[in-house]
Amino acid sequence: MNVTDQDLQYFISALKNYTKYDFSDYSDKSLKRRVEKVLADRNLDVTGLITSIKNSQEFAELIVKEITVNTTELFRDPQTWHLLRSRILPRFKNNKNINIWHAGCSTGQEVYSMMILLNEMELFDKAKIFATDLNSDVLDAAKKGQYKYRFNIGYLDNFDKVIKQNPLNYEEFNDVPYDKYFEIDKAKDTITMKKFLTEKPIFRKHDLVKDGNLFFAKFDLILCRNVIIYFNYNLQNNVFELFHSNLYPKGCLLLGMHETILGPWATKFEKIGQAYVKK
Amino acid sequence: MYKAVIIGGSAGSFQVITRILHSLPPTFPLPVLLSLHRLKHVRSGFVEALSIKSGIPVVEPFDKDQIKPGRAYLAPANYHMFIELGNKIALSTEEPVNHSRPSIDLSFVTAAQVYRDKLVGIILSGANRDGAYGLKKVKDLGGLTIVQDPLECQVKTMTEASMKLTKVDHVYSTNEIIKFLQSIK
Repeated sequence: MNVTDQDLQYFISALKNYTKYDFSDYSDKSLKRRVEKVLADRNLDVTGLITSIKNSQEFAELIVKEITVNTTELFRDPQTWHLLRSRILPRFKNNKNINIWHAGCSTGQEVYSMMILLNEMELFDKAKIFATDLNSDVLDAAKKGQYKYRFNIGYLDNFDKVIKQNPLNYEEFNDVPYDKYFEIDKAKDTITMKKFLTEKPIFRKHDLVKDGNLFFAKFDLILCRNVIIYFNYNLQNNVFELFHSNLYPKGCLLLGMHETILGPWATKFEKIGQAYVKK
Repeated sequence: MYKAVIIGGSAGSFQVITRILHSLPPTFPLPVLLSLHRLKHVRSGFVEALSIKSGIPVVEPFDKDQIKPGRAYLAPANYHMFIELGNKIALSTEEPVNHSRPSIDLSFVTAAQVYRDKLVGIILSGANRDGAYGLKKVKDLGGLTIVQDPLECQVKTMTEASMKLTKVDHVYSTNEIIKFLQSIK
């Protein structure tokens, strides 16, 4: 099902008029692809889709969940975690608190990866973890902290790279057992995070397009990885402004491995590796 | 007359890609888009390996990067790489397509939509059918389609699937692909 530019505009208007979501400043190519996928999966045309959105809030909410992307994995991009471990988190070790915001946390693997790393660095108790996403279903999954073993088995290798090995010293090996942090049940096909991890973060539904800072706090570290690739230049700038104004001076913003700040906000940060540090 | 070259490959294509990149002059007038599958564990080091012998710079692009002639753009591990109007790269972490991320089909389809008859699409050795549909789109929109000669491929599933779906313009050996690319002015 081919979605024209005009179809997409109708779809965006329908969401804007009948829900609280505004996708006007999403990157239109990727949004178009997502809408095409929804139409194919549900065997609908654009008119049918828009009619159903008008008629049912629940349906509209479901569609919003389907057009947003929820990919995440434990310790995705080990280089990023090495950077956090060796150069970013140590900057905060003398803080009284370390406030961390995972913006667009999806099903939570990044949040748990962070808590595991903080614990290994003996910074866990100082940290306050805030995690948000647009999609309430993925937040429920994140709160539960339970994942399919067979989909995540490959990522245990990332755990080894980040937690057990030290890329700066190949002779170092910390034999941290997985069950310090999660239970693996192969028969039930589950990886379940330990209670001391699941009960720590504050998870909230949040829309980067319009919601601002939900928490009465500023942040030492904001992670927003592989989210802004779905936004256009305008919305990216709004989001950078939001992050910049809610970081402490010298606070860090971490984007995805292949995301970068284009435009005016680039000059307000300096870079440490791929991390942006507020000037 | 062409505006871009896009190459898809999987198992058995690494050495072919290396030879092709090695043969390109620094003045090569087009961008080269590379959508290649790699082993799950080989996530870093690939771009460096390709760069060593390449005649043109090889980069793993950032999202929304401008595409420039005389450069090779390698789809980063674990991302889809799309080509957008305005000659820009778009990356995405959407779910794998046919178990592949990057999906060669998605790269080819979006490149075909942008460059249409100004695109050269090349499918190399590979162990699955990803790319066949993408190459068909290149052909449908007027682009030139080339597959590596299956007789020469380490694994010929991908090239054979492509030839089954599309009446490709040329079936070339690696040497012929190189000669063709070098003739582009």
